[in-house]
Amino acid sequence: MKLLRLKVVNYRGINTREVKFSPLGITRIEGPNESGKSSLGEAINTIFDYQDNSKNQDIQAIQPVHKDVGPEIELEMETGKYVFTYFKRFLKKPETKLTISKPNPENLTGRQAHDRANEILKETLDVDLWKALSIMQGEAIGQPDLKNKQALSAALDKAAGVHPAAPQELSLFKRVSQEYELYYTIGRGTEKKELQDLRNTLAEKRTEVGLIEQAIRELETDIDRVPVLQRELTQLRKQEEALSQQLIDLTAKLEQISSLENTQSAAALKLESAQKTLQAAQGAKKIRQDTIITAENAAKAHRELQESSAMALPALSQAEESLNKARVAADEAERKRKEAESLAALKRADFDYYRDKLDMDQLFERKQRIDEARRDAAQAETVLAKNKVDAGALDRIKEAELGYKNACARMEIGSPNILLRSISKCRLSIDGIEAVLDTNEVRKISVADRTTVSIPGTLDIEITAGSSIEGLTRKVEDARHALDAACAAATVAGPDEARKAYDERQEALRDVDNKVRVEKENLRDLTYESLEHRLHSLQQSVPNYLVGRVKDPAICPDFDTSKEEWTKAEANSQTASGELDNTRKALESARSLFQGVNIKHREAGAKLEQLSKDLKQTQENLDKGRKKESDETLETNLTAANMAVLSEDTAYRLATDSLKAFNPEQVKALEDSAKGSLKTIRNSHDSRDKGLIELQTRLKIMGEEGLHEKLNAAENQLEHLEFKNRATTLRANAAKYLFDTMCEERDKASRAYVAPLKDKIERLGRLVFDPSFQVTIGDDLKITSRTVSGVTVPFDSLSGGTREQLSLMYRLSCSMIVAKDGGTPVILDDALGYTDQERLKLMGAVLAVAAKECQIVIFTCVPERYAFIGEAAVVPL
Amino acid sequence: MIRFLHTSDWQLGMTRRFLSEEAHARYTQARFDAIRTMGRIAKEKQCQFMLVCGDSFESNQVDRKTVARAIEALKEVSVPVYLLPSNHDPLNAASVYRSSTFVEKKPAHVQIIEDTAPVQVGEGFELVGAPWLSKRPNGNPIVDLLNALPPAGSIKRICVGHGIIDIFTPDKEAENVIAVSKLEAAISEGKVHFIALGDRHSLTKVGSGHRIWYSGTPESTDFREDHSGFCQIVNMDGDDVSTEEVKIGQWSFIEALMDLNTEDDVESLRKKLEDIPNRERAAVKLDLKGSLTLSLHGVFQSHLLAAKDVLAGSVINEDNLLVIPNDTDFTDLGFSGFADATVKRLRDKIDQGGPEGSVARDAFMLLLRLSKGCA
Repeated sequence: MKLLRLKVVNYRGINTREVKFSPLGITRIEGPNESGKSSLGEAINTIFDYQDNSKNQDIQAIQPVHKDVGPEIELEMETGKYVFTYFKRFLKKPETKLTISKPNPENLTGRQAHDRANEILKETLDVDLWKALSIMQGEAIGQPDLKNKQALSAALDKAAGVHPAAPQELSLFKRVSQEYELYYTIGRGTEKKELQDLRNTLAEKRTEVGLIEQAIRELETDIDRVPVLQRELTQLRKQEEALSQQLIDLTAKLEQISSLENTQSAAALKLESAQKTLQAAQGAKKIRQDTIITAENAAKAHRELQESSAMALPALSQAEESLNKARVAADEAERKRKEAESLAALKRADFDYYRDKLDMDQLFERKQRIDEARRDAAQAETVLAKNKVDAGALDRIKEAELGYKNACARMEIGSPNILLRSISKCRLSIDGIEAVLDTNEVRKISVADRTTVSIPGTLDIEITAGSSIEGLTRKVEDARHALDAACAAATVAGPDEARKAYDERQEALRDVDNKVRVEKENLRDLTYESLEHRLHSLQQSVPNYLVGRVKDPAICPDFDTSKEEWTKAEANSQTASGELDNTRKALESARSLFQGVNIKHREAGAKLEQLSKDLKQTQENLDKGRKKESDETLETNLTAANMAVLSEDTAYRLATDSLKAFNPEQVKALEDSAKGSLKTIRNSHDSRDKGLIELQTRLKIMGEEGLHEKLNAAENQLEHLEFKNRATTLRANAAKYLFDTMCEERDKASRAYVAPLKDKIERLGRLVFDPSFQVTIGDDLKITSRTVSGVTVPFDSLSGGTREQLSLMYRLSCSMIVAKDGGTPVILDDALGYTDQERLKLMGAVLAVAAKECQIVIFTCVPERYAFIGEAAVVPL
Repeated sequence: MIRFLHTSDWQLGMTRRFLSEEAHARYTQARFDAIRTMGRIAKEKQCQFMLVCGDSFESNQVDRKTVARAIEALKEVSVPVYLLPSNHDPLNAASVYRSSTFVEKKPAHVQIIEDTAPVQVGEGFELVGAPWLSKRPNGNPIVDLLNALPPAGSIKRICVGHGIIDIFTPDKEAENVIAVSKLEAAISEGKVHFIALGDRHSLTKVGSGHRIWYSGTPESTDFREDHSGFCQIVNMDGDDVSTEEVKIGQWSFIEALMDLNTEDDVESLRKKLEDIPNRERAAVKLDLKGSLTLSLHGVFQSHLLAAKDVLAGSVINEDNLLVIPNDTDFTDLGFSGFADATVKRLRDKIDQGGPEGSVARDAFMLLLRLSKGCA
């Protein structure tokens, strides 16, 4: 489609306006606001949209204000194979005329013209696409909805080389989607609740079947248990009967046993009574016998004691005599021991005297050695205080001395030497100092500076060293000064004195060290004061001993003899002590013997007295008893009692044997056991009986629940559910598989389909952005995102200006695509209002490129905005 | 002379899962009705009694409604009825015959054979039964009964038992299997003169003589029963014994093995299904093998669906039926664009086989279905 000419008369604020469009490229229609630019754009649509007699508000709105005239529109255009001029007048004297010049001339008016014009448009043009590509004033530039726009789709199909989706396919896809949606959600693809519910129902049914099966198993277990319990009960009843009979038999036996036990008890009582009578008779007889024996024994003991007492008197006298002798011997031994101890004490004192004396002498010598060392040390300290020549000072002096000697030696080598060899003995003076040289004596003189050798009365020789010797001389002087300074620091005159002083200092240091050693060796574990104190004490006590000592015996001459005498006296003293102990023991023995004999003698006397009394009493008792019952009477009573016991014992044994024959313990144990067993059996019986009743009750209830049919019904339902679930799953899987596959194929086709559009947009976009510019096109054929330099931004997140530019590129691209097939012009009414100056230049280039392939009509009141659009037909209003 | 109706294996309370719910209700009712029918026949044939040789109930744990409906049906039987407890409904602690419903509602003419004591059933005739007292007794009770029986002497003795006999089972040594020789020996020894058995669902004569019979179930219960749906009238006159089978059952269970490869085969199957008489009281079990194209499989499925709408139930085993798409399956669709690409992809996956191929085939079948009517 190409717009060729547009004329409006009495249209809104326009009286008459005619515009000729450039068939290809850009037509820029400029004019200030309210000059009718937008009205022109609007008129192109209005002429097709409304019949001339339309009362629509939009038509009412285009009538000029305060003018009673009909707005007119005349449009000349070509579309497809048609070229025609289309005229309409609205409201007043409405009229429609269509004059077709190509391909076949036609002239139509009125409704026919209107319908024919629209028919031509529909035949040759995608009207929607055309309108979508226009940007009317006041509209924000957005992406038009071009989905299902026939012209664009056909162009894209052609460009993509794929078959367009036919309605049949779209219908199929819709059905596939609907089938898919039965099981899954579109988009996230999650399972629908129905699928989950089916699975849950299946699981619940399985549980139900399991529970019924479990109930049936339990029921069958109960059924099997009933005959078992019944058998057990029968068995228990039999056992109970047997045990009851056994218990009756045992009870009868126990009654017999009880009777025999009574008989045995009576016999036992009688036997016990007879035994007591016998015991009494035996007791009486025994008492009599004991009394007789006691009387006889008392008489015998009295006799024996009397005899024994008479025989003990000589032994008592002899013991007393032995005691007296032992006392005398003990006194003598005591005296001798005292003498020996006294002598030993004296000898010990003598020995101590000699030992103290020796000690005193040694301590005196040790003190002297210490005192001497201390004196030497004191003198040495004095030396050390004065003498400063230690090893360091000496080393410094030696070093200075060596320096000096070296300097002298260097000077001597560097200075002139005079060799004086005497031919005969002569007297001479060297630097004023007289000297005598013997025959053939040679003397060498080194001239440091100037030396005068004079042979008195004969010759004065003055030898002066050259200027080179001055440095050496100065060094000698420096060395000497250094030596002097070192000596002065050590307060010595010269090196030799220093060495001597050093030796003295060393000697003094040794004396100081010696004092410490001597003190250590002689004090040992003492302090000087304690040594001195001890010496003083010994010096006092030693001489006094001799003064105070007894004269006799005389003191030994020396220490060793004294020690020997003391040892000997000690031994004698020990011997005397031993002898004293022996005599004391003998005395004690004699005393003990005497006391023993004496005590026995006295005791025998007392006992004899007591025995006499006892003997008398016993005899009186015996006489008394015999008067009461004679010995013969007692004997008769005892014989009768023995006979009675024998008789009762026989009776008791008979009763006991009879009882034993019944084995009462066994019978009793058997009875207890039988009672226990019976109780156990009855408990078991009751328990099983109760169990059986419970079991039968349970069976009665559960057995009539119709579990088998319930199970069958549940299993039946389960099978149907499983089948349904399986079938549903298969159907769902098939639907999903088909849907997914179809979506993939559709997307693949869609991607191929939108590729030409994408390519066009990117070609234009690279003029504005950079070579990396890319866009993605969605299913709705809209730009979904833009990518520049690898950064992808969704379309809706882009700035308003960029969105406007992309939308314009999009429209231009669409127009470029459809242009080869007749195409549609792009009409822009003051577009790019959001675009900055720099981008306007670039967008101008975009428009210029697009204009080579399609018709572009721009209405603008800001011509500068489109200053860079290249070659364009400009129509000022 | 004595005449009685011999039946067994009513299996009341049994469920057939392959029947639809509605069909199952009808089937259940048919089996109760069979009791009434046999009662009517017993009266018509002047039978002295009806002998039910076990498995009257499918289980001891049947619903009380089942018991009540059975009793209602039994009430309409005018001759005495002797019921033998058997492996499905043994006379144990939870026996259906001891349930309150049965005990309270049982009509007087219905007797349970509770032990092996002889029951006088006519002048010179007695009945001895071998009831099952548990589900798993040690040996078949009829064996102990026959061992213990003295020769009948002048009495004609009818023995009632239940269980499989050795010639019908591969497991001949199983505990409850009855040796035919044992039964024939009892007859030849004069201990019994007729042995009425239950357990096998087809009316069957056993052994070389004509005195040992399975009555079979009066209403078919499964596909493999070759002569079910009958009872028989037994006449004993002196030493003579004669039997007469009487058709009772209204239901059929049809089993077929079919090869499906061509359109003719599919058509043949359709015809076979349509030709089944009384289809609303028929259940079909088809074991199918062969290979069909996708479109032919679709035709087959539609025939099957049509048949299922009428049949009482069906069991279709397609495990051995392969569905192999051919070129026409794919080319006749007339799709273009992405739909055509989808078809091609599905075909590739189907050709590759495996689990995904199977899903792809289902998807393709779905596509075929959905494509119908696409404008």
